[in-house]
Amino acid sequence: MGRSSIGQSIGRSIGRDAIDRILSREEEILPSSGFAVSVMDVVRSEAAAPPPIPFPWKRALPGIIAAAFVLGLVIIAVVVGIVQAGKTTNSQLFIFTSPFASPSLPRLLHGGIESAVVWTLLALLFAFASVKFSMRVLSGAA
Amino acid sequence: MSANDDQADVERVLAGEISAFEGIVQRWQGPLINLAYRFSRDRGRAEEMAQEAFLRAYRALGQWRKDAVFSTWLFALATNLYRSELRRIPARSVSLDEIAEPVDVRPSDGGLEDYDRDLAVRRAVGALPAKYREALTLFYFHDMNITAAAQSLGLPEGTVKARLSRGRDILRSKLPQQLAVPRLKEA
Repeated sequence: MGRSSIGQSIGRSIGRDAIDRILSREEEILPSSGFAVSVMDVVRSEAAAPPPIPFPWKRALPGIIAAAFVLGLVIIAVVVGIVQAGKTTNSQLFIFTSPFASPSLPRLLHGGIESAVVWTLLALLFAFASVKFSMRVLSGAA
Repeated sequence: MSANDDQADVERVLAGEISAFEGIVQRWQGPLINLAYRFSRDRGRAEEMAQEAFLRAYRALGQWRKDAVFSTWLFALATNLYRSELRRIPARSVSLDEIAEPVDVRPSDGGLEDYDRDLAVRRAVGALPAKYREALTLFYFHDMNITAAAQSLGLPEGTVKARLSRGRDILRSKLPQQLAVPRLKEA
């Protein structure tokens, strides 16, 4: 060990002693006089509060499954539509191999104002059904 | 403070006697507020954080496994909460680079010098990166007990030791004068 490293080691030790000395003598603060009472007030109101309402999984499960199924179908239809669109030219009609896809779906996916209206109506219908379903679940849980 | 008192009070609370929780509050309010104060450096906020810690302890009393001492469990819960709170709303502190060496033109009478030095060191601790600051805070709160600090932080002792060492190194490099590290000449 060279002189420098011995010196550094001593320096570290002195520095550590000083840090220990300073940080060990922290001032202690006393709790304010009403602290325990206010904690007990909070604890008592917590104990008196009714338990949280559990989420009604039994009621919601069919709706969740149905929504997931519909969402899956829409995603698959969109993906198939995009893939088919990539394969065909503008003049060609799309051919869907998916069992749930109807012949009118390509026009819905790639059409003009008509398809936009249909999609908007579908979205509104879906939103309405979601709201009704949520309200039904909530009223059933209450 | 007796571990048996804690266990008896916890059992009474779990049996439905809520007033027994007051014994726990009376025994641990001082340490929990002081720990919160070391994190926040704000008396009002320290009491708010300690109150929240007691409320969470009340909610989670059933999760205390009696193989650990109640105080260890309580400090770990409180430390976890205080760390989250300080991450959400950090305590007011200056950056390490802003902590200048104090230039004291007054005659050296010892007391004021010590006060300035202690203040500078505490400010420097407050400006450390969180992981070093938390290790130092818990280590000195637990009277330099690494095991207790590690349990409160939920970290292995080796990690806490490494963080303490690194934290002290940063303090020494930022405050060489206050910590009386001799200036070394390269051999």
